[in-house]
Amino acid sequence: MMMQRFSDWIKQRIPGYTRRSTTLPFSMLFSRFQEILALNNQVLETIAGANDKLSGDYVFDQHYIHVTCGQLIEMVQKLINNLDVIAPGKYPDLNRSFQEIESEIRATLAGKMHGPESEFVIPYKMITKDLSETVGGKNANLGELKTYLGTTIPNGFAISCSAFWAFMEYNGLEPYIKKITDAWLDGSLELEPASKQITEKILAGRLPARLEKELAKAISNLAGNSKERDLFLAVRSSALGEDSKLTFAGQYLSLINEPAANLRKAYIMVLASAYSSTAMEYRRRKGFKEVEVAMAVACQKMAKPKASGVMYTLDPLNPEKDTMLLSATWGLGGPVVSGRATADHFVVDRTSPHRGLEVKVVRKESMLTGLPQGGTGLRPVEEELQTSPALNNGQITRLAATGLAIEKYFNRPQDIEFAVSETGEITILQSRQLTVRPHKTPHAAELADLSARYPVIFRDRGVIAQRGIASGPVFLVRNEDDLKDFPVGSILVTRLASPLLAKVIMKASAIITDVGSATGHLATIAREFRVPALFDTGIGTTELSQGREITLDAEENVIYQGVVKELCYYNLVEDSIEETFEYRLLRRVLKKIEPLRLLDPSEQNFTARNCRSLHDITRFIHEKAVDALIDLNYYQHHDLKTMAGKLKWDIPLDLVMIDIGGGLCKPTAQPAVIVPEDICSVPMQSLLKGLKHPGAWDNEPMSVDFGSFMSSLTRTSPAELSSPRQIGQNLAVISKEYANVSLRLGYHFTMIDSYISANLNDNYAYFRFFGGVTDLNRRSRRAKFLGEVLAHYDFRVELHGDLVVARLKKLDEHSMRQRLYLLGLLVGFTRQLDVKMISEGQVDVYVKKLKNLLEENHEQ
Amino acid sequence: MSNNKQTNILILDDEPIVGKRLKPSLEKKGYLVETFTESLEALKRIREHNFDIVITDLKMEGIDGMQFLSEVKERSPRTEVIVITGFATMETAKESFQKGVFDFLAKPFKLGEITEVIRKAESKQQNI
Repeated sequence: MMMQRFSDWIKQRIPGYTRRSTTLPFSMLFSRFQEILALNNQVLETIAGANDKLSGDYVFDQHYIHVTCGQLIEMVQKLINNLDVIAPGKYPDLNRSFQEIESEIRATLAGKMHGPESEFVIPYKMITKDLSETVGGKNANLGELKTYLGTTIPNGFAISCSAFWAFMEYNGLEPYIKKITDAWLDGSLELEPASKQITEKILAGRLPARLEKELAKAISNLAGNSKERDLFLAVRSSALGEDSKLTFAGQYLSLINEPAANLRKAYIMVLASAYSSTAMEYRRRKGFKEVEVAMAVACQKMAKPKASGVMYTLDPLNPEKDTMLLSATWGLGGPVVSGRATADHFVVDRTSPHRGLEVKVVRKESMLTGLPQGGTGLRPVEEELQTSPALNNGQITRLAATGLAIEKYFNRPQDIEFAVSETGEITILQSRQLTVRPHKTPHAAELADLSARYPVIFRDRGVIAQRGIASGPVFLVRNEDDLKDFPVGSILVTRLASPLLAKVIMKASAIITDVGSATGHLATIAREFRVPALFDTGIGTTELSQGREITLDAEENVIYQGVVKELCYYNLVEDSIEETFEYRLLRRVLKKIEPLRLLDPSEQNFTARNCRSLHDITRFIHEKAVDALIDLNYYQHHDLKTMAGKLKWDIPLDLVMIDIGGGLCKPTAQPAVIVPEDICSVPMQSLLKGLKHPGAWDNEPMSVDFGSFMSSLTRTSPAELSSPRQIGQNLAVISKEYANVSLRLGYHFTMIDSYISANLNDNYAYFRFFGGVTDLNRRSRRAKFLGEVLAHYDFRVELHGDLVVARLKKLDEHSMRQRLYLLGLLVGFTRQLDVKMISEGQVDVYVKKLKNLLEENHEQ
Repeated sequence: MSNNKQTNILILDDEPIVGKRLKPSLEKKGYLVETFTESLEALKRIREHNFDIVITDLKMEGIDGMQFLSEVKERSPRTEVIVITGFATMETAKESFQKGVFDFLAKPFKLGEITEVIRKAESKQQNI
């Protein structure tokens, strides 16, 4: 790498260093520092690359995940070692944090499910989709429906996977279970005795004290003002992976109407059901790994429903009929769910207003109800109700609409359990993916000639931000008001991929925009909710008229007129790639790698102990390495061969400069005040000139150059720029031909490394830009802006989300100076830019503006 | 496809996700696809049937990819072999090309990249 070459060069330039203290000579410190910068960049690029793999557009395997994690761990270990050379023994906690993260990553790779540490008990109102690996699919799905769709769900709480693991550890179960399941899997033990041995051991287990305590509190909260002995609960399994592609339908135990006092026992019984012989066999058949087993539990307050039932949002055997199926009976739904009792059947049109197509009412002589002492029992149904339908038309219509909204939300047909109260209120008890098995399985090969059979509106325009297939009526969104009445299931068509659309994204079947980028914020959200998204089509809003039925194939990038049934059914039946083990594993390890929590070095939490991800550690080390170098060479100057001083300038850069040979025109006293005229470093000179370019740095957005169009973009004063502490301690290491600059401006991190001499073969420039606290959307736009400008001026550019890396080499001295001037200008300019990047269209405007500026102001 | 005969593709990779990901995606484009995770089974299959295109990993249990692709080329020189591997080195790439491999893709790759390579392999076959 270029920087390595340069550190060799420095070592030659500073020979015969005489030791004044125990600190290492600057040449060595600096080469470590450069290694940190290089590693820092590699880490960021590797993380960004791994995240890209989740888009669905890549073919990757477990080998890739293992190799990538290994590389990241190695790089971060090297970072720590390098920092320890620069600042010996100063951050012992860093190793502790690293070891913890490393062992979590290795455990995750080994298949261990010890996911995010959490409370043992989590109330439903606190549950969002982020918690699905904490509370299991069933709980998470309900929490999501409540949060995002406003669906009525039972009051209750989840007992988390953390509680499960704590229980297993407390009772020493893990090694025991592993031994038995291994024996079963290699054929040396039969299924039945294996299941029996594990189940018995679990049933004999005891709850850890902390769990006892949290359960008692949860029960008391749930009972509220009423007596705890009047509280009855449904205690249901909510295992990891349950309710995703593998439905585990009926594999695990559910206990209905348990008195709250029995919860502890009921909980253990549900845990034990994870090792019923049918569940074990099911997992083996479906390729679900034994180490992935983790059982969270749902505890829901029992209601006394008038009627209960099950709804399939699509007829699983005849999906082409486009109907939904409902079954219902009086009282509790257990008999309907298990299929043990006859129930009323309703076939309903999937299209609004959900007309009833078939009704079959049976005689319902008895119904299941909760018994006063707990548990359930059959009770006779009043004569006149026996032959009445358990659901009326209004209820059916409302259920159908709710069901379809849930289907759209999860992007898969659903198997939903519901209850209807005496007053007719509908509660969703659980919703999980429905396995659709049509008589005639659609085959991918049949889709090869679709465009010959269906009219194509347009194809191969724009970028796919999230793969998938969707059909529905077009709903044009022209302004924010239009979002208020966004009809569930429509295809959202709009001009800009604005983050405002996030509000309705879960109601939309798909999103099509004229303008937008696949790395923007909206793309991230579309990916999170797996809503098929096609951006930057240029013509979406002109070609697609309001209400028109279309099908978007965001796999092959085609928009068809009408509903292409083959595609839709194929999509509903096909296994979703995001549910494969590899995707789950990558998502899981990334949680320990990617999130950046340490943002502001001036905050108290910016400590080695608070590093929770590899990204945190990398960030921490970079910051501390800059501090250490400044500290050693400016505040406690020790190396006679170098000079250090602070730049005094109109622009408040707070820049400490360390001169390692000829970077300053004349020697200065220590510590020195440096004015720009003192600087003889060629790259540094050009960089500062660029920063000083009229309009590049202004805190005031209304500068002469930019005022006219900036004022039209924003009227708010960017708070991010106003606080003085936002400009961090910055560092430049310079010589006559060289400059290495680390800048932290606000939350942006810039690194520039350049060498400029008369010999063009030695010349290079390296630029890295990252960070910001505005939303990812604007940061990505800013990255795109930087990328376009830099590429226009001959840099080789790589963009990963908001990370920009640009390289350039072997230009003559004059051209190199111009490029450094450009970098200076960009640093100043972009500092204020991300807060203004309010729309995608702005990228082009700024690119053009900047090019004009440079043409008008020929430097040197 | 422009010609009437569908292009036959065999995919061999010991990680099931690779075939699982590629098969439907290629079938939608009109290819006939068979996937294997066991090299010995794939070997049995190529002994009874000549494929237009074979996509194979290099490092697997059983016989290794290099051996497998050698046998493919021996039996059916017109079959184009595309190597996909997570252990990409210059040496393995060189060796593959010496054995007459059509192209060499390092895993992970984008779906678009492999379909592009397949298209090129097809047009080469059509031009011969």
